[in-house]
Amino acid sequence: MIQVTVFFQAGFKMAERKTTPRDSLVSWLPRAAAIAVGVVALLFSGALAQASVGPPPDLSPEVFQIAKTLRCPVCQGESAAESNSGVATEMRRIIAEQLAQGKTAGEIRQFFVARYGDWILYEPPKRGLTLWVWFSPLVGLGVLALVLWRYLAAARSRSVGADNVSTEELERAEASLSSKTEDQ
Amino acid sequence: MRRFWPLIVLALGGLFWWGMQRPDMNALPSVLIGRPAPDFTLPVMFPYRASWGQSFQLSKHLGKKPVIVNIWASWCKPACYDEAPHLQAAWQEYQDRVLFIVIDAQEQDGLTFIRLFGLAFPQVFDPLGTVGVDYGMYGVPETLLINREDRVAGRHADPLDPAGFDKLIQKVL
Repeated sequence: MIQVTVFFQAGFKMAERKTTPRDSLVSWLPRAAAIAVGVVALLFSGALAQASVGPPPDLSPEVFQIAKTLRCPVCQGESAAESNSGVATEMRRIIAEQLAQGKTAGEIRQFFVARYGDWILYEPPKRGLTLWVWFSPLVGLGVLALVLWRYLAAARSRSVGADNVSTEELERAEASLSSKTEDQ
Repeated sequence: MRRFWPLIVLALGGLFWWGMQRPDMNALPSVLIGRPAPDFTLPVMFPYRASWGQSFQLSKHLGKKPVIVNIWASWCKPACYDEAPHLQAAWQEYQDRVLFIVIDAQEQDGLTFIRLFGLAFPQVFDPLGTVGVDYGMYGVPETLLINREDRVAGRHADPLDPAGFDKLIQKVL
């Protein structure tokens, strides 16, 4: 605000010096310029004040990369990176703090696992009971391939069976069909 | 292929049956059960400072008697409002044998809440929610039980009724 006042005072002093009775328009220009500068300075100082009381600067992308791999415990289907809940905000703060302490992403994830269990991880660990989550798509594909293979094998055997019909059998079948047609 | 259908149905049925076996859906398993209770030091809310001082450090009170740590927030309606009278009643019944400490995340609204329900046990203020993370909190209200050996002995998510408080506290008495 001191800066703004100084701007105004300087502008008005300029205006006083430059004002002549001959040209009132020209005499008002420095005063108008002083007001404009003052308004701009006022807005700028307001913006600075706003910035100083606003939220802290954004956290590093690495914080969000780690937070993205962790669930927000109080949310439905949101990661700690996406949620604005108090717990998720605190989780991001803890991640940033631990990164600043030189901890690795794995160590930070382990910090949360120690408090929430493996549930907190979006990707279940590839060990123990959770292994089935990783292998079930492969098992599903295997079962699908087996079913498909058996179906195709059965279809092929039916087709091969039709090719193996002897000429005599075909002639007999045709004769039987034609006799049935004549009877009608 | 048809001979495998009973096996598939059996496997899916078994999985369903296994999933339904959890006795209490609100008693979420906590990895902290059996582990030392994380310590915390938090500012005591204004009405309790005369009796409890400016700040409350959990470790100073551990080992003497079991501790109930209840985490709530005044914005959590109706769950926390449903639980508050039962929490007060449980404190009245067990105050000689169990220490109750309640953590709130919003002091200003918290004072209104405290006045509304006449809560007599110490309340502390956790502005960042750090303690919630340390205790693996899933939501509010949430109640944790610490035994005389300073270890987490139980946890319940969602509001507790009188029977729920009795059942939880009896684990450590």
